[in-house]
Amino acid sequence: MKWLLLWIPLALVPAAVSNNVVLTVLIFTFILGILGVSFNLIFGFTGQLSLFHAAAFGLSAYATYLSMAHWGVSFWIGMATGVVFVTLISIVIGTICFRFKLKELYFAIVTLAFSELARLVILNWTSFTNGSLGINFTLTPTLWLPGRGVVPVAGTTMWYYLSLIAVALAVAFYSRILHSWMGRTFAAIRLNDALADTLGINVFRYKLICFIAGNAGAAVAGSLYAFYISYIDPHYFSVDQSLAIIAMALLGGREYVAAPIVGAFVLTALPHVINVNAEVRILIYGLILILSILLMPRGIVGSLVRRRRAA
Amino acid sequence: MLQLVVGQLLNGVIVGTLYAIIALGVTLTFGITGIVNFALGAFMMLGAYFTWYLTDGLHVPYPLAVPLAVAAIALLGLVVDQVLFRFTRNNLINGLIVSIGLISVIVAFVLMVWSTTPQNMEYVLPGVFRIGGVIVPKMKAVVFVVLLVVILATYAALTRTWAGRAAYAFAQNPEAAALMGVRTKVLQAGVAAYSTALAGLGGALYASLYSITPEIGGSYILKGVEAAILAGIGSVMGSFAGGIIIGVAEGVGSIFLPSAYNDAYGLVFLVLILLFKPAGLFGRSS
Repeated sequence: MKWLLLWIPLALVPAAVSNNVVLTVLIFTFILGILGVSFNLIFGFTGQLSLFHAAAFGLSAYATYLSMAHWGVSFWIGMATGVVFVTLISIVIGTICFRFKLKELYFAIVTLAFSELARLVILNWTSFTNGSLGINFTLTPTLWLPGRGVVPVAGTTMWYYLSLIAVALAVAFYSRILHSWMGRTFAAIRLNDALADTLGINVFRYKLICFIAGNAGAAVAGSLYAFYISYIDPHYFSVDQSLAIIAMALLGGREYVAAPIVGAFVLTALPHVINVNAEVRILIYGLILILSILLMPRGIVGSLVRRRRAA
Repeated sequence: MLQLVVGQLLNGVIVGTLYAIIALGVTLTFGITGIVNFALGAFMMLGAYFTWYLTDGLHVPYPLAVPLAVAAIALLGLVVDQVLFRFTRNNLINGLIVSIGLISVIVAFVLMVWSTTPQNMEYVLPGVFRIGGVIVPKMKAVVFVVLLVVILATYAALTRTWAGRAAYAFAQNPEAAALMGVRTKVLQAGVAAYSTALAGLGGALYASLYSITPEIGGSYILKGVEAAILAGIGSVMGSFAGGIIIGVAEGVGSIFLPSAYNDAYGLVFLVLILLFKPAGLFGRSS
Protein backbone atom coordinates (compact mmCIF):
# COMPACT_ATOMS: atom_id res chain seq x y z
CA MET A 1 0.00 0.00 0.00
CA LYS A 2 2.78 2.44 0.79
CA TRP A 3 3.73 2.45 -2.90
CA LEU A 4 0.37 4.10 -3.65
CA LEU A 5 1.52 7.15 -1.70
CA LEU A 6 4.22 7.78 -4.29
CA TRP A 7 1.60 8.78 -6.86
CA ILE A 8 0.30 11.68 -4.76
CA PRO A 9 3.35 13.97 -5.05
CA LEU A 10 3.43 13.23 -8.79
CA ALA A 11 -0.19 14.39 -9.07
CA LEU A 12 0.75 17.66 -7.34
CA VAL A 13 3.75 18.44 -9.54
CA PRO A 14 1.90 20.71 -12.06
CA ALA A 15 0.62 22.83 -9.18
CA ALA A 16 4.13 23.35 -7.83
CA VAL A 17 6.16 23.46 -11.04
CA SER A 18 5.28 25.75 -13.90
CA ASN A 19 8.43 24.94 -15.86
CA ASN A 20 7.29 23.33 -19.10
CA VAL A 21 10.53 21.45 -19.64
CA VAL A 22 10.16 19.58 -16.36
CA LEU A 23 6.56 18.67 -17.14
CA THR A 24 7.43 17.59 -20.68
CA VAL A 25 10.20 15.33 -19.40
CA LEU A 26 7.72 13.79 -16.98
CA ILE A 27 5.09 13.29 -19.71
CA PHE A 28 7.64 11.41 -21.83
CA THR A 29 8.72 9.50 -18.72
CA PHE A 30 5.15 8.36 -18.08
CA ILE A 31 4.35 7.38 -21.68
CA LEU A 32 7.68 5.58 -22.20
CA GLY A 33 7.30 4.21 -18.67
CA ILE A 34 4.20 2.30 -19.85
CA LEU A 35 6.39 0.87 -22.60
CA GLY A 36 9.10 -0.14 -20.13
CA VAL A 37 6.70 -1.57 -17.55
CA SER A 38 4.88 -3.66 -20.15
CA PHE A 39 8.17 -4.89 -21.63
CA ASN A 40 9.34 -5.90 -18.21
CA LEU A 41 6.31 -8.16 -17.78
CA ILE A 42 7.63 -10.24 -20.68
CA PHE A 43 11.36 -9.80 -20.02
CA GLY A 44 11.89 -9.32 -16.30
CA PHE A 45 9.05 -11.38 -14.89
CA THR A 46 8.63 -14.15 -17.44
CA GLY A 47 12.20 -14.23 -18.74
CA GLN A 48 11.48 -13.89 -22.47
CA LEU A 49 13.65 -11.37 -24.35
CA SER A 50 11.06 -10.11 -26.84
CA LEU A 51 12.39 -7.80 -29.52
CA PHE A 52 8.89 -7.16 -30.84
CA HIS A 53 8.07 -4.48 -28.29
CA ALA A 54 9.11 -1.49 -30.39
CA ALA A 55 7.10 -2.93 -33.28
CA ALA A 56 3.97 -3.27 -31.11
CA PHE A 57 4.50 0.34 -30.05
CA GLY A 58 4.86 1.50 -33.66
CA LEU A 59 2.09 -0.62 -35.16
CA SER A 60 -0.39 0.72 -32.64
CA ALA A 61 0.72 4.31 -33.32
CA TYR A 62 0.03 3.79 -37.04
CA ALA A 63 -3.19 1.85 -36.47
CA THR A 64 -4.53 4.56 -34.15
CA TYR A 65 -3.80 7.41 -36.51
CA LEU A 66 -4.87 5.59 -39.69
CA SER A 67 -8.18 4.40 -38.21
CA MET A 68 -8.93 7.96 -37.07
CA ALA A 69 -7.97 9.45 -40.43
CA HIS A 70 -9.83 6.91 -42.57
CA TRP A 71 -12.85 6.07 -40.45
CA GLY A 72 -13.24 9.37 -38.62
CA VAL A 73 -13.44 7.70 -35.21
CA SER A 74 -12.35 9.34 -31.95
CA PHE A 75 -8.93 8.87 -30.40
CA TRP A 76 -10.19 6.38 -27.85
CA ILE A 77 -11.75 4.15 -30.52
CA GLY A 78 -8.50 4.58 -32.47
CA MET A 79 -6.47 3.48 -29.48
CA ALA A 80 -8.78 0.49 -29.01
CA THR A 81 -8.24 -0.36 -32.68
CA GLY A 82 -4.48 -0.19 -32.13
CA VAL A 83 -4.68 -2.42 -29.07
CA VAL A 84 -6.93 -4.96 -30.80
CA PHE A 85 -4.69 -4.98 -33.89
CA VAL A 86 -1.54 -5.51 -31.81
CA THR A 87 -3.30 -8.18 -29.76
CA LEU A 88 -4.26 -10.11 -32.90
CA ILE A 89 -0.72 -9.90 -34.25
CA SER A 90 0.67 -10.94 -30.85
CA ILE A 91 -1.61 -13.98 -30.86
CA VAL A 92 -0.25 -15.02 -34.26
CA ILE A 93 3.42 -14.41 -33.40
CA GLY A 94 3.10 -15.76 -29.88
CA THR A 95 1.36 -18.91 -31.08
CA ILE A 96 4.09 -19.50 -33.66
CA CYS A 97 6.92 -18.92 -31.17
CA PHE A 98 5.51 -20.75 -28.17
CA ARG A 99 3.83 -23.62 -30.02
CA PHE A 100 7.26 -24.45 -31.44
CA LYS A 101 8.88 -23.85 -28.03
CA LEU A 102 11.31 -21.17 -29.19
CA LYS A 103 13.43 -19.98 -26.29
CA GLU A 104 16.15 -17.49 -25.45
CA LEU A 105 18.13 -16.65 -28.59
CA TYR A 106 15.62 -18.22 -30.96
CA PHE A 107 12.71 -16.34 -29.43
CA ALA A 108 14.69 -13.10 -29.56
CA ILE A 109 15.68 -13.62 -33.19
CA VAL A 110 12.20 -14.60 -34.39
CA THR A 111 10.56 -11.66 -32.63
CA LEU A 112 13.26 -9.44 -34.13
CA ALA A 113 12.48 -10.94 -37.55
CA PHE A 114 8.77 -10.13 -37.20
CA SER A 115 9.61 -6.68 -35.97
CA GLU A 116 11.82 -6.09 -39.03
CA LEU A 117 9.07 -7.39 -41.31
CA ALA A 118 6.62 -4.93 -39.73
CA ARG A 119 9.13 -2.11 -40.24
CA LEU A 120 9.68 -3.08 -43.89
CA VAL A 121 5.94 -3.10 -44.56
CA ILE A 122 5.44 0.31 -42.93
CA LEU A 123 8.47 1.70 -44.76
CA ASN A 124 7.43 0.42 -48.21
CA TRP A 125 3.64 0.72 -48.15
CA THR A 126 4.06 4.34 -49.12
CA SER A 127 0.51 5.05 -50.31
CA PHE A 128 -0.85 4.17 -46.88
CA THR A 129 1.92 5.16 -44.49
CA ASN A 130 3.88 7.80 -46.44
CA GLY A 131 7.02 5.66 -46.09
CA SER A 132 10.13 7.00 -44.45
CA LEU A 133 8.84 10.58 -44.36
CA GLY A 134 6.18 9.69 -41.82
CA ILE A 135 3.00 11.65 -41.21
CA ASN A 136 2.54 14.95 -39.41
CA PHE A 137 -1.01 15.39 -38.21
CA THR A 138 -3.22 17.75 -36.25
CA LEU A 139 -5.79 15.33 -34.81
CA THR A 140 -5.99 15.41 -31.04
CA PRO A 141 -7.60 13.16 -28.44
CA THR A 142 -10.73 14.51 -26.78
CA LEU A 143 -11.90 14.07 -23.21
CA TRP A 144 -15.16 14.62 -21.40
CA LEU A 145 -14.54 16.73 -18.33
CA PRO A 146 -17.22 17.46 -15.74
CA GLY A 147 -18.48 21.00 -16.19
CA ARG A 148 -16.59 21.62 -19.43
CA GLY A 149 -18.05 19.00 -21.73
CA VAL A 150 -15.97 17.40 -24.45
CA VAL A 151 -12.64 19.21 -24.84
CA PRO A 152 -9.54 18.42 -26.89
CA VAL A 153 -6.50 17.31 -24.93
CA ALA A 154 -4.13 20.20 -25.46
CA GLY A 155 -1.47 21.85 -23.40
CA THR A 156 1.11 20.44 -21.08
CA THR A 157 -1.03 20.17 -17.94
CA MET A 158 -3.75 18.10 -19.57
CA TRP A 159 -1.25 15.80 -21.19
CA TYR A 160 0.52 15.51 -17.85
CA TYR A 161 -2.58 14.21 -16.10
CA LEU A 162 -3.60 12.00 -19.01
CA SER A 163 -0.19 10.29 -19.15
CA LEU A 164 0.06 10.09 -15.36
CA ILE A 165 -3.31 8.35 -15.14
CA ALA A 166 -2.36 6.05 -18.01
CA VAL A 167 0.91 4.96 -16.40
CA ALA A 168 -0.77 4.54 -13.00
CA LEU A 169 -3.45 2.34 -14.59
CA ALA A 170 -0.75 0.35 -16.41
CA VAL A 171 1.18 -0.23 -13.19
CA ALA A 172 -2.03 -1.19 -11.38
CA PHE A 173 -2.99 -3.59 -14.18
CA TYR A 174 0.41 -5.30 -14.32
CA SER A 175 0.88 -5.51 -10.57
CA ARG A 176 -2.61 -6.98 -10.28
CA ILE A 177 -1.56 -9.69 -12.76
CA LEU A 178 1.80 -10.26 -11.11
CA HIS A 179 0.47 -10.44 -7.58
CA SER A 180 -2.10 -13.04 -8.54
CA TRP A 181 -1.47 -16.75 -9.08
CA MET A 182 -0.71 -15.85 -12.67
CA GLY A 183 2.34 -13.89 -11.53
CA ARG A 184 3.64 -16.99 -9.76
CA THR A 185 3.02 -18.96 -12.93
CA PHE A 186 5.12 -16.45 -14.86
CA ALA A 187 7.89 -16.71 -12.26
CA ALA A 188 7.82 -20.50 -12.51
CA ILE A 189 8.19 -20.24 -16.28
CA ARG A 190 11.06 -17.78 -15.91
CA LEU A 191 12.95 -19.94 -13.44
CA ASN A 192 12.51 -23.27 -15.22
CA ASP A 193 9.86 -23.78 -17.83
CA ALA A 194 10.46 -27.52 -18.17
CA LEU A 195 9.82 -27.93 -14.45
CA ALA A 196 6.78 -25.64 -14.69
CA ASP A 197 5.46 -27.92 -17.42
CA THR A 198 5.85 -31.04 -15.30
CA LEU A 199 4.07 -29.28 -12.44
CA GLY A 200 1.00 -29.00 -14.64
CA ILE A 201 1.39 -25.38 -15.73
CA ASN A 202 0.27 -24.85 -19.29
CA VAL A 203 3.49 -23.11 -20.34
CA PHE A 204 2.22 -22.33 -23.83
CA ARG A 205 -0.92 -20.64 -22.58
CA TYR A 206 0.77 -18.47 -19.96
CA LYS A 207 3.65 -17.43 -22.19
CA LEU A 208 1.06 -16.38 -24.77
CA ILE A 209 -1.02 -14.46 -22.22
CA CYS A 210 2.10 -12.71 -20.99
CA PHE A 211 3.19 -11.81 -24.53
CA ILE A 212 -0.26 -10.42 -25.38
CA ALA A 213 -0.64 -8.50 -22.12
CA GLY A 214 2.83 -6.97 -22.53
CA ASN A 215 2.32 -5.96 -26.14
CA ALA A 216 -1.09 -4.46 -25.31
CA GLY A 217 0.72 -2.07 -22.94
CA ALA A 218 3.14 -1.17 -25.72
CA ALA A 219 0.12 -0.49 -27.94
CA VAL A 220 -1.38 1.96 -25.45
CA ALA A 221 1.98 3.69 -25.09
CA GLY A 222 2.28 3.89 -28.89
CA SER A 223 -1.09 5.61 -29.33
CA LEU A 224 -0.38 8.13 -26.58
CA TYR A 225 3.16 8.83 -27.79
CA ALA A 226 2.07 9.38 -31.40
CA PHE A 227 -0.62 11.86 -30.40
CA TYR A 228 1.57 13.66 -27.89
CA ILE A 229 4.20 14.40 -30.54
CA SER A 230 1.62 14.51 -33.41
CA TYR A 231 3.95 12.62 -35.70
CA ILE A 232 4.51 9.03 -36.79
CA ASP A 233 7.36 7.60 -38.83
CA PRO A 234 9.20 4.27 -39.15
CA HIS A 235 11.64 5.30 -36.40
CA TYR A 236 9.06 3.98 -33.95
CA PHE A 237 10.23 0.54 -35.08
CA SER A 238 13.94 1.29 -35.06
CA VAL A 239 16.64 -0.64 -33.25
CA ASP A 240 17.30 2.48 -31.15
CA GLN A 241 13.75 2.27 -29.86
CA SER A 242 14.20 -1.39 -28.90
CA LEU A 243 17.49 -0.48 -27.22
CA ALA A 244 15.84 2.28 -25.23
CA ILE A 245 13.14 -0.15 -24.07
CA ILE A 246 15.64 -2.74 -22.85
CA ALA A 247 17.72 0.01 -21.26
CA MET A 248 14.70 1.31 -19.33
CA ALA A 249 13.92 -2.09 -17.87
CA LEU A 250 17.55 -2.88 -17.00
CA LEU A 251 18.32 0.53 -15.60
CA GLY A 252 15.18 0.74 -13.49
CA GLY A 253 15.31 -2.83 -12.26
CA ARG A 254 13.80 -6.06 -13.47
CA GLU A 255 12.31 -7.17 -10.17
CA TYR A 256 9.76 -4.41 -9.54
CA VAL A 257 6.68 -3.60 -11.58
CA ALA A 258 7.10 0.17 -11.61
CA ALA A 259 10.91 0.24 -11.69
CA PRO A 260 11.23 0.73 -15.48
CA ILE A 261 9.57 4.13 -15.00
CA VAL A 262 12.69 5.19 -13.10
CA GLY A 263 14.74 3.96 -16.05
CA ALA A 264 12.49 5.89 -18.44
CA PHE A 265 12.95 9.01 -16.32
CA VAL A 266 16.74 8.79 -16.36
CA LEU A 267 16.83 8.18 -20.11
CA THR A 268 14.46 11.07 -20.93
CA ALA A 269 15.91 13.51 -18.42
CA LEU A 270 19.55 12.83 -19.30
CA PRO A 271 19.60 14.67 -22.66
CA HIS A 272 18.03 17.71 -20.94
CA VAL A 273 20.35 17.75 -17.96
CA ILE A 274 23.54 17.44 -19.95
CA ASN A 275 23.09 19.00 -23.36
CA VAL A 276 24.13 16.27 -25.79
CA ASN A 277 23.67 15.53 -29.46
CA ALA A 278 22.26 12.38 -31.00
CA GLU A 279 25.59 10.54 -31.26
CA VAL A 280 26.40 11.01 -27.60
CA ARG A 281 22.92 9.86 -26.68
CA ILE A 282 23.41 6.60 -28.59
CA LEU A 283 26.75 6.22 -26.79
CA ILE A 284 25.08 6.74 -23.41
CA TYR A 285 22.34 4.18 -24.18
CA GLY A 286 25.00 1.66 -25.10
CA LEU A 287 27.06 2.31 -21.99
CA ILE A 288 23.95 2.05 -19.83
CA LEU A 289 23.14 -1.37 -21.28
CA ILE A 290 26.70 -2.65 -20.78
CA LEU A 291 27.29 -1.16 -17.36
CA SER A 292 23.92 -2.08 -15.91
CA ILE A 293 24.39 -5.72 -16.96
CA LEU A 294 27.95 -5.92 -15.64
CA LEU A 295 27.85 -3.67 -12.58
CA MET A 296 24.25 -3.17 -11.54
CA PRO A 297 22.23 -6.18 -12.63
CA ARG A 298 19.40 -5.32 -10.23
CA GLY A 299 18.90 -1.83 -11.61
CA ILE A 300 18.56 1.46 -9.75
CA VAL A 301 15.47 0.49 -7.76
CA GLY A 302 16.79 -2.99 -6.98
CA SER A 303 20.10 -1.61 -5.71
CA LEU A 304 18.43 1.06 -3.58
CA VAL A 305 15.98 -1.36 -2.00
CA ARG A 306 18.71 -3.86 -1.20
CA ARG A 307 20.93 -1.17 0.30
CA ARG A 308 18.10 -0.04 2.55
CA ARG A 309 17.40 -3.59 3.65
CA ALA A 310 21.07 -4.16 4.40
CA ALA A 311 21.32 -1.02 6.53
CA MET B 1 16.18 -13.02 -68.94
CA LEU B 2 18.52 -15.96 -68.47
CA GLN B 3 21.48 -13.57 -68.37
CA LEU B 4 19.74 -11.52 -65.74
CA VAL B 5 18.99 -14.56 -63.61
CA VAL B 6 22.53 -15.92 -63.91
CA GLY B 7 23.99 -12.49 -63.18
CA GLN B 8 21.85 -12.09 -60.07
CA LEU B 9 22.72 -15.63 -59.05
CA LEU B 10 26.44 -14.88 -59.18
CA ASN B 11 25.90 -11.58 -57.41
CA GLY B 12 23.94 -13.42 -54.75
CA VAL B 13 26.73 -15.95 -54.25
CA ILE B 14 29.28 -13.16 -53.78
CA VAL B 15 27.15 -11.18 -51.32
CA GLY B 16 26.34 -14.52 -49.71
CA THR B 17 30.00 -15.17 -48.89
CA LEU B 18 30.05 -11.83 -47.08
CA TYR B 19 27.08 -13.01 -45.02
CA ALA B 20 28.84 -16.32 -44.53
CA ILE B 21 31.98 -14.77 -43.05
CA ILE B 22 29.83 -13.02 -40.42
CA ALA B 23 27.83 -16.21 -39.86
CA LEU B 24 31.10 -18.09 -39.30
CA GLY B 25 32.09 -15.61 -36.61
CA VAL B 26 28.66 -15.92 -34.98
CA THR B 27 28.85 -19.71 -35.00
CA LEU B 28 32.40 -19.90 -33.63
CA THR B 29 31.76 -17.41 -30.84
CA PHE B 30 28.54 -19.17 -29.90
CA GLY B 31 30.13 -22.62 -29.90
CA ILE B 32 33.06 -21.66 -27.72
CA THR B 33 31.86 -18.86 -25.46
CA GLY B 34 28.11 -19.57 -25.35
CA ILE B 35 27.06 -16.09 -26.39
CA VAL B 36 25.80 -14.61 -29.64
CA ASN B 37 27.82 -11.54 -30.37
CA PHE B 38 25.54 -9.11 -32.20
CA ALA B 39 28.38 -6.61 -32.25
CA LEU B 40 30.16 -8.58 -34.98
CA GLY B 41 28.20 -6.52 -37.52
CA ALA B 42 29.48 -3.35 -35.89
CA PHE B 43 33.04 -4.71 -36.01
CA MET B 44 32.56 -5.41 -39.69
CA MET B 45 31.44 -1.83 -40.23
CA LEU B 46 34.43 -0.61 -38.25
CA GLY B 47 36.73 -2.80 -40.38
CA ALA B 48 35.29 -1.17 -43.51
CA TYR B 49 35.90 2.31 -42.09
CA PHE B 50 39.46 1.47 -40.99
CA THR B 51 40.30 0.12 -44.43
CA TRP B 52 38.78 3.11 -46.17
CA TYR B 53 40.65 5.49 -43.86
CA LEU B 54 43.95 3.67 -44.36
CA THR B 55 43.74 3.60 -48.17
CA ASP B 56 42.08 6.91 -48.96
CA GLY B 57 43.21 8.91 -45.94
CA LEU B 58 46.73 7.63 -45.31
CA HIS B 59 47.41 6.26 -48.82
CA VAL B 60 48.38 2.81 -47.64
CA PRO B 61 48.10 0.37 -50.58
CA TYR B 62 44.90 -1.69 -50.32
CA PRO B 63 46.56 -5.13 -50.04
CA LEU B 64 48.45 -3.82 -47.01
CA ALA B 65 45.52 -1.88 -45.58
CA VAL B 66 43.34 -4.99 -45.32
CA PRO B 67 45.63 -6.98 -42.97
CA LEU B 68 46.29 -3.84 -40.93
CA ALA B 69 42.58 -3.19 -40.49
CA VAL B 70 41.92 -6.85 -39.70
CA ALA B 71 44.69 -6.88 -37.09
CA ALA B 72 43.30 -3.73 -35.48
CA ILE B 73 39.80 -5.24 -35.34
CA ALA B 74 41.14 -8.51 -33.92
CA LEU B 75 42.94 -6.59 -31.18
CA LEU B 76 39.78 -4.64 -30.39
CA GLY B 77 37.84 -7.89 -30.32
CA LEU B 78 40.31 -9.35 -27.84
CA VAL B 79 40.11 -6.29 -25.59
CA VAL B 80 36.30 -6.24 -25.68
CA ASP B 81 36.20 -9.95 -24.92
CA GLN B 82 38.48 -9.60 -21.91
CA VAL B 83 36.83 -6.44 -20.58
CA LEU B 84 33.15 -7.25 -21.26
CA PHE B 85 32.24 -10.66 -22.61
CA ARG B 86 34.45 -12.56 -20.18
CA PHE B 87 31.85 -11.75 -17.53
CA THR B 88 28.86 -12.96 -19.54
CA ARG B 89 30.19 -16.37 -20.61
CA ASN B 90 27.36 -18.87 -21.06
CA ASN B 91 24.76 -16.31 -20.09
CA LEU B 92 23.09 -15.85 -23.43
CA ILE B 93 20.70 -13.04 -22.56
CA ASN B 94 23.30 -10.95 -20.73
CA GLY B 95 25.80 -11.49 -23.54
CA LEU B 96 23.19 -10.47 -26.08
CA ILE B 97 22.39 -7.26 -24.22
CA VAL B 98 26.05 -6.37 -23.69
CA SER B 99 26.71 -6.91 -27.38
CA ILE B 100 23.71 -4.74 -28.31
CA GLY B 101 25.11 -2.05 -26.04
CA LEU B 102 28.49 -2.42 -27.68
CA ILE B 103 26.90 -1.82 -31.10
CA SER B 104 25.66 1.58 -29.92
CA VAL B 105 29.07 2.47 -28.56
CA ILE B 106 30.80 1.57 -31.85
CA VAL B 107 28.16 3.27 -34.00
CA ALA B 108 28.33 6.41 -31.85
CA PHE B 109 32.13 6.42 -32.20
CA VAL B 110 31.92 6.16 -36.01
CA LEU B 111 29.24 8.87 -36.16
CA MET B 112 31.40 11.22 -34.11
CA VAL B 113 34.54 10.61 -36.15
CA TRP B 114 33.19 10.13 -39.69
CA SER B 115 29.54 11.37 -39.58
CA THR B 116 26.64 9.75 -41.40
CA THR B 117 27.83 10.69 -44.90
CA PRO B 118 28.31 7.52 -46.99
CA GLN B 119 31.98 7.03 -47.86
CA ASN B 120 33.11 5.57 -51.16
CA MET B 121 36.58 4.12 -51.45
CA GLU B 122 38.45 4.68 -54.69
CA TYR B 123 38.36 1.72 -57.05
CA VAL B 124 40.99 -0.80 -56.07
CA LEU B 125 40.70 -3.01 -59.10
CA PRO B 126 38.63 -1.64 -61.97
CA GLY B 127 37.47 -3.77 -64.88
CA VAL B 128 35.14 -6.69 -65.34
CA PHE B 129 35.13 -10.30 -66.43
CA ARG B 130 32.70 -11.21 -69.21
CA ILE B 131 31.56 -14.80 -69.20
CA GLY B 132 29.00 -15.32 -71.93
CA GLY B 133 26.76 -12.31 -71.55
CA VAL B 134 27.26 -12.12 -67.81
CA ILE B 135 29.39 -9.35 -66.36
CA VAL B 136 31.27 -9.86 -63.10
CA PRO B 137 33.42 -7.00 -61.74
CA LYS B 138 36.98 -8.22 -61.11
CA MET B 139 37.00 -6.93 -57.55
CA LYS B 140 33.88 -8.94 -56.71
CA ALA B 141 35.56 -12.09 -58.00
CA VAL B 142 38.63 -11.33 -55.86
CA VAL B 143 36.50 -10.77 -52.77
CA PHE B 144 34.71 -14.05 -53.37
CA VAL B 145 37.97 -15.99 -53.75
CA VAL B 146 39.56 -14.43 -50.65
CA LEU B 147 36.52 -15.15 -48.50
CA LEU B 148 36.22 -18.69 -49.85
CA VAL B 149 39.87 -19.37 -49.06
CA VAL B 150 39.50 -18.00 -45.53
CA ILE B 151 36.38 -20.07 -44.87
CA LEU B 152 38.01 -23.27 -46.18
CA ALA B 153 41.21 -22.54 -44.25
CA THR B 154 39.16 -22.06 -41.08
CA TYR B 155 37.44 -25.36 -41.71
CA ALA B 156 40.76 -27.10 -42.31
CA ALA B 157 42.28 -25.52 -39.19
CA LEU B 158 39.35 -26.65 -37.08
CA THR B 159 39.46 -30.23 -38.29
CA ARG B 160 43.18 -30.78 -38.88
CA THR B 161 45.12 -28.89 -36.21
CA TRP B 162 45.51 -29.52 -32.50
CA ALA B 163 43.98 -26.16 -31.60
CA GLY B 164 41.01 -26.78 -33.89
CA ARG B 165 40.31 -30.17 -32.39
CA ALA B 166 40.70 -28.63 -28.93
CA ALA B 167 38.02 -26.12 -29.90
CA TYR B 168 35.69 -28.90 -31.04
CA ALA B 169 36.35 -30.84 -27.86
CA PHE B 170 35.68 -27.76 -25.77
CA ALA B 171 32.40 -27.11 -27.58
CA GLN B 172 31.28 -30.65 -26.79
CA ASN B 173 32.43 -30.87 -23.21
CA PRO B 174 34.31 -27.97 -21.62
CA GLU B 175 35.33 -29.83 -18.48
CA ALA B 176 36.67 -32.87 -20.26
CA ALA B 177 38.58 -30.62 -22.64
CA ALA B 178 40.10 -28.75 -19.71
CA LEU B 179 41.14 -32.05 -18.12
CA MET B 180 42.82 -33.08 -21.37
CA GLY B 181 45.07 -30.04 -21.17
CA VAL B 182 43.15 -27.51 -23.25
CA ARG B 183 43.83 -24.04 -21.91
CA THR B 184 40.20 -23.02 -21.98
CA LYS B 185 40.56 -19.33 -21.12
CA VAL B 186 43.13 -18.83 -23.86
CA LEU B 187 40.99 -20.80 -26.29
CA GLN B 188 37.89 -18.70 -25.57
CA ALA B 189 39.76 -15.41 -25.91
CA GLY B 190 41.45 -16.62 -29.08
CA VAL B 191 38.20 -17.71 -30.72
CA ALA B 192 36.49 -14.45 -29.74
CA ALA B 193 39.33 -12.44 -31.29
CA TYR B 194 39.39 -14.65 -34.39
CA SER B 195 35.63 -14.20 -34.90
CA THR B 196 35.92 -10.43 -34.73
CA ALA B 197 38.88 -10.63 -37.12
CA LEU B 198 36.67 -12.51 -39.59
CA ALA B 199 34.04 -9.78 -39.29
CA GLY B 200 36.77 -7.16 -39.77
CA LEU B 201 37.95 -8.97 -42.91
CA GLY B 202 34.39 -8.99 -44.24
CA GLY B 203 34.26 -5.23 -43.68
CA ALA B 204 37.68 -4.60 -45.22
CA LEU B 205 36.61 -6.40 -48.40
CA TYR B 206 33.14 -4.85 -48.35
CA ALA B 207 34.77 -1.41 -48.44
CA SER B 208 36.22 -2.13 -51.89
CA LEU B 209 32.77 -2.90 -53.34
CA TYR B 210 30.08 -0.72 -51.82
CA SER B 211 29.48 2.59 -50.01
CA ILE B 212 30.22 2.54 -46.32
CA THR B 213 27.69 3.90 -43.85
CA PRO B 214 27.36 3.35 -40.10
CA GLU B 215 24.21 1.30 -40.77
CA ILE B 216 25.76 -1.56 -42.76
CA GLY B 217 26.63 -3.50 -39.62
CA GLY B 218 23.01 -3.89 -38.57
CA SER B 219 21.85 -5.49 -41.79
CA TYR B 220 24.92 -7.75 -42.06
CA ILE B 221 24.75 -9.11 -38.53
CA LEU B 222 21.08 -9.87 -39.01
CA LYS B 223 21.84 -11.83 -42.19
CA GLY B 224 24.83 -13.44 -40.50
CA VAL B 225 22.79 -14.67 -37.54
CA GLU B 226 20.06 -15.80 -39.92
CA ALA B 227 22.59 -17.71 -42.00
CA ALA B 228 24.13 -19.32 -38.92
CA ILE B 229 20.75 -20.45 -37.58
CA LEU B 230 19.46 -21.45 -41.02
CA ALA B 231 22.18 -24.04 -41.38
CA GLY B 232 22.22 -25.13 -37.76
CA ILE B 233 24.34 -23.07 -35.39
CA GLY B 234 27.74 -24.64 -34.70
CA SER B 235 28.49 -25.85 -38.21
CA VAL B 236 31.30 -24.16 -40.19
CA MET B 237 30.40 -25.29 -43.68
CA GLY B 238 26.73 -24.89 -42.75
CA SER B 239 27.16 -21.20 -42.09
CA PHE B 240 28.84 -20.91 -45.48
CA ALA B 241 25.88 -22.61 -47.15
CA GLY B 242 23.43 -20.51 -45.12
CA GLY B 243 25.07 -17.28 -46.25
CA ILE B 244 24.99 -18.35 -49.89
CA ILE B 245 21.32 -19.39 -49.65
CA ILE B 246 20.28 -16.02 -48.26
CA GLY B 247 22.46 -14.12 -50.75
CA VAL B 248 21.09 -16.04 -53.73
CA ALA B 249 17.49 -15.71 -52.52
CA GLU B 250 17.95 -11.94 -52.34
CA GLY B 251 19.68 -11.71 -55.71
CA VAL B 252 17.17 -13.80 -57.59
CA GLY B 253 14.23 -12.46 -55.58
CA SER B 254 15.04 -8.87 -56.53
CA ILE B 255 14.27 -9.73 -60.17
CA PHE B 256 10.68 -10.50 -59.31
CA LEU B 257 9.89 -8.32 -56.30
CA PRO B 258 10.86 -4.74 -55.40
CA SER B 259 14.33 -4.80 -53.87
CA ALA B 260 12.88 -2.95 -50.88
CA TYR B 261 11.79 -6.35 -49.62
CA ASN B 262 15.30 -7.83 -49.97
CA ASP B 263 15.77 -7.96 -46.24
CA ALA B 264 12.63 -10.06 -45.83
CA TYR B 265 13.80 -13.27 -47.55
CA GLY B 266 16.28 -14.24 -44.88
CA LEU B 267 13.72 -13.51 -42.20
CA VAL B 268 11.06 -15.64 -43.85
CA PHE B 269 13.52 -18.51 -44.38
CA LEU B 270 14.63 -18.23 -40.80
CA VAL B 271 11.14 -18.39 -39.36
CA LEU B 272 10.26 -21.39 -41.54
CA ILE B 273 13.46 -23.24 -40.61
CA LEU B 274 13.03 -22.59 -36.91
CA LEU B 275 9.48 -23.82 -37.06
CA PHE B 276 9.93 -26.96 -39.10
CA LYS B 277 13.55 -27.99 -38.64
CA PRO B 278 14.89 -26.19 -35.56
CA ALA B 279 18.27 -27.94 -35.69
CA GLY B 280 18.92 -26.17 -39.00
CA LEU B 281 19.02 -27.35 -42.59
CA PHE B 282 22.07 -29.53 -42.08
CA GLY B 283 21.76 -30.19 -38.36
CA ARG B 284 20.70 -33.47 -36.86
CA SER B 285 17.37 -33.11 -35.11
CA SER B 286 17.61 -33.93 -31.46
